[in-house]
Amino acid sequence: MLTKNVIAIIKRELMDKLYSKSFVFMTLLIPAIMFLSIGLQTLFMNIDGDDGTQITVVSETELLNGKIKEQFEELPFIKSKYYKVDYLVKSSGDFEKYLTENKQKLVNNSKKSIVFVPESVLTNKEVKFYSNNPINNPLFSKLRDPLNKVFVDLYFAGKELSDEEIKYARTGVDFNGFRITKDEKVEEEGVGNLVVSFLFTFLLYMSLLILGQLMMRSVVEEKNNRIVEIILSSVSSKDLMIGKILGSTITGVAQMAIWLSPVIVLISTTWFALPKEFTLSLNGLQVFYYLLNYFMGLLTYLSLFATIGAIFDNDQDAQSGIWPITLLIMIPFFIALSLTNNPDNQLALIASIVPFSSIIVMPARFTLIDVPLWQFLLSIALDIAVLFVIFPLAGKIYKIGILLTGKKPTWKEVFQWLKTSN
Amino acid sequence: MNALEVKNLSKSFKTVKAVDNVSFNIPEKSIFGLIGRNGAGKTTTIRMMMNIYSQDSGEVFLRGKKIGNEFKSKVGYLPEERGLYKKMKVLDTLLYFAELKGKTGKTVLGKALKYLERFDLKDRANSKIEDLSKGNQQKIQFITAILHDPEFLILDEPFSGLDPINTNLLKEIILEMKEEGKVIILSTHLMDFAERMCDNIAMIDKGKIILDGHLTEIKNRYANKNISVSADGDLSFLSNEPFIEHVESFGNSFGVRVKDEKYIQDVLKSLIAHNVKINRFDANSISLHEIFVSLAGTEINEEKQEVK
Repeated sequence: MLTKNVIAIIKRELMDKLYSKSFVFMTLLIPAIMFLSIGLQTLFMNIDGDDGTQITVVSETELLNGKIKEQFEELPFIKSKYYKVDYLVKSSGDFEKYLTENKQKLVNNSKKSIVFVPESVLTNKEVKFYSNNPINNPLFSKLRDPLNKVFVDLYFAGKELSDEEIKYARTGVDFNGFRITKDEKVEEEGVGNLVVSFLFTFLLYMSLLILGQLMMRSVVEEKNNRIVEIILSSVSSKDLMIGKILGSTITGVAQMAIWLSPVIVLISTTWFALPKEFTLSLNGLQVFYYLLNYFMGLLTYLSLFATIGAIFDNDQDAQSGIWPITLLIMIPFFIALSLTNNPDNQLALIASIVPFSSIIVMPARFTLIDVPLWQFLLSIALDIAVLFVIFPLAGKIYKIGILLTGKKPTWKEVFQWLKTSN
Repeated sequence: MNALEVKNLSKSFKTVKAVDNVSFNIPEKSIFGLIGRNGAGKTTTIRMMMNIYSQDSGEVFLRGKKIGNEFKSKVGYLPEERGLYKKMKVLDTLLYFAELKGKTGKTVLGKALKYLERFDLKDRANSKIEDLSKGNQQKIQFITAILHDPEFLILDEPFSGLDPINTNLLKEIILEMKEEGKVIILSTHLMDFAERMCDNIAMIDKGKIILDGHLTEIKNRYANKNISVSADGDLSFLSNEPFIEHVESFGNSFGVRVKDEKYIQDVLKSLIAHNVKINRFDANSISLHEIFVSLAGTEINEEKQEVK
């Protein structure tokens, strides 16, 4: 497979890609985009859009009013005037009147709301919320705990309980994840692996799509420029295709190794003491598997992208023909992202083994749970089998397509190319 | 022995038969012209010879043996539609294409620089291809075809887009290569060039070979009842003369065909009688162009009759 010609082509591809400004640029840009998108996501999640919320807390008794005020004034978002809170005391009859008077204000201003705390909260913890936006989850989650504290305190106040007992009653439930591994170790699970899983998935997704696009455009360029005819007077179309794919694959793996170098340093040394919640349970073998998997993924997907490039003779047509492959990358990407909810479901299991999707799903899966060895082996074996099937097919389409210009071929015609004998 | 023998090559694209049972021989140490109109099947034939396309049927023999991929390293190719990597530097481009042909090292580098000098491009060795003028890109393209010192040189419309000076330079190099014993295959629709340069030709029209052989022989075969006339004025009266078979105008010159060789003097008499100013009167002479038009032209007429 590695003839002199293939090596010459690989060398040119590497010169073209590895030693180019765009390689340095991409190597820096992709992590930047990634962190930016994580940052933006976190930012958006924190923008609840409830800036300037005005709440009037109407309590039925002075006691409730006093305790609530005391509790609320401690809250950072009220202290900082992010929420503006007024406190009133009214009997339920007076409250009805007050509500009718203020109805118009509530209708016109979505930031305004009234919380009515009746005396009955001490038996059923039910408060009433009046607003033109009655399902306001950010607000509820901000107020739920402080109110609960007040109610619990008042409820137990006369009941001769120790502070500790009251404290216990006030505390919510906290889930602590523990990872059970094959070697029967029980490790407390930090978010470190979740971060790495996201990192793995995102890097795979971005770089497969970007390198794939570059590959496709490079094939279209050669075809469009008619360079391909001179190259084919020297080498076979198979050598050209293999050389191009291997060249891009080597570039991609080198890039990935650069991106992963911080992770490799983290897991192989003790130079950096990570906070406990960020600890990683990942070993060198898994990182190696990830790179190997990426290598095979590139071979697979790049051969598909190269084929699409060979079918069309300009970028626009090629872009329109690329969606089946884009789907083949995007669907596994979303499956891999969904793993963060529950890594051990049937869909994830299947998606991490079947060809194409295994390339993206398996890395996310093995960073989150312990994957049995047979599943790794099966997925690799299937990947290799797929390569053996698609390479000759891609080669056939490539050979015929690469010299055809003019009318855009139909998919039916492309399938007919597959039937030709050589 | 023939350097290359093409036997019964055929290739169809969908329903169109681009190349139809094409056979011809290319002798050693000669310039061979593959001549035909645009779309006649020249490029397809060449691509099959180099195994860029695979043929539907037929074979190509290289010195008696069935041709294989080893031919690719022996051949230099200048395709009709030129193309280079725009972002690559001139010298890198030359060395890359030589490497694809299996030639690397100092000798190639030296030769590359020599050719660049000859084509007046030495100072552009480190320029990017896209910074070169179209004509200069053509020259680079030509150098990529000859840099690895190929035994065979296939040139598809080599003179298109070149100015006269560079056309001459190209011709000079092609003739040099012939002197060195190389086989040169020239595919062109320009009959003049073919006529002046080729030793042997094959004419192809609508995918079929309509004529092939040694150029001088062919011309002799077609010339004996033919007169090439260059004259001022209207020669249409000739068509009415009883001894004339056919008159064809090529602008400044006319191809006149008589019914028998003995009437040649009558043509001259008739021209003088009609007061035509004769600049040239060449008996027993025919241009490749005339031969082509007479052959391909008849075929077109036949086709029309079939339609009727």
